[in-house]
Amino acid sequence: MSYSISFVLLLLAAASVAGFFGALLGVGGGIFIVPAMVLLFHLPMKIAVAASIVSVIATSNAGGSSYVEQRISNLRLAMFLELFTTTGALVGAILAIYLHDWAISMIFAAMLAYMAYASFSTRNLDDERIAKGLFSKAKADSVARYLTLEGSYHDLAADKEVHYVVCGAPAGITIASLAGIASGLLGVGGGVLKVSAMNRYMNVPMKVAVGTSKLMIGVTAAVSSILFFMAGLIHFMVVAPVAIGTTVGATIGTMLMNRLHSRVLKWIFSALMAYLAYAMLAQALAEGFGIHLPAST
Amino acid sequence: MSEPSNRGASPMAEEQNVYAGVYHMLIAGMIVSNVLFAIGIVLALIHPQFFPLSASWVSEQYRAKLVFHGLIHGQPTSYFLLGTLLLILTPVARVIVSIYAFWVDHDLKYVAVTGTVFIIMIITVILGAFGIR
Repeated sequence: MSYSISFVLLLLAAASVAGFFGALLGVGGGIFIVPAMVLLFHLPMKIAVAASIVSVIATSNAGGSSYVEQRISNLRLAMFLELFTTTGALVGAILAIYLHDWAISMIFAAMLAYMAYASFSTRNLDDERIAKGLFSKAKADSVARYLTLEGSYHDLAADKEVHYVVCGAPAGITIASLAGIASGLLGVGGGVLKVSAMNRYMNVPMKVAVGTSKLMIGVTAAVSSILFFMAGLIHFMVVAPVAIGTTVGATIGTMLMNRLHSRVLKWIFSALMAYLAYAMLAQALAEGFGIHLPAST
Repeated sequence: MSEPSNRGASPMAEEQNVYAGVYHMLIAGMIVSNVLFAIGIVLALIHPQFFPLSASWVSEQYRAKLVFHGLIHGQPTSYFLLGTLLLILTPVARVIVSIYAFWVDHDLKYVAVTGTVFIIMIITVILGAFGIR
């Protein structure tokens, strides 16, 4: 198979769009570029996953953790959860190597369907919790206490120092492991899962959760990338345009993110996720079982 | 030897400096690998080549001499390979630097935590080298 200029340029363009929307919607480019590679470019799922996860490493730096964000992030919490995300990533990558392409596509479709549904249930309760000082009133569990996972940061919006006590380590660990498996198996960053684990179950304020998640994504992605690299699944002419495209797209998307975030975007996001979930399921059924769903390409 | 109790997300000054350095290193790694990818794409399009889509062919390209030779002679595969390796190594380097930063901070619990993450990475390399394919 030789690659034409048009293939490379189209892939570059698709990756830029994927990276752009990923940054805009705060989900990372992997969620859009993997379906794009499989559905538009008819690349095998494993090749798409491997290419995507390498580009996730690139975009984890591209958004740019500003210095402010870095001070807000909880380094120790990131390191602690990385134990589980990296283990999960290794498991996920092994599964990705041994499962059939259509099986991985189906799991990807299920993830998209879940995200389409879940995007409506993320409510920002942080403002109230910060005002009432609820983050500091929680009781640390034994793991959090042993590893001094607590922290504090200065919230510009509320204009106060917010101290928080981390708890719920078992739930956080479970979800972090799942996020790692998803990352390794599906070629996505898994940031959405990690942020929800920290914010909803571990009593971590949203801004800290987002910043801390960004610290983790590159390391998690590196683990599965290593395995894909050694298994020869990183196909050069796919990885290169995808990596460049998502980096450029994500950088631009991050710059615009603060100005454009709105309810309309959430609706578009859910609709897009639902459509992609259906399309990926259709592709998996066609490839694995020869079943053709209605209105599928 | 008592440590300040409120550690959490506020590292000591030396750690912050280490992290500033690491951050710049990560960005530099990302830029260099993207440049290598771009060079590779341009080379591949100028002289279109046949790239088999098989894992065994890709794995066969992992030879230092081949890569070095390829870089000098404008072989796109070598540039792609180097770019990919660099990209993968930047988070690995970050973990190593974190271990050092915690060590400097006398935070042995986190030296152990971060060290374990590094060991997981090593295990991944070993598994890849010896059979998972």
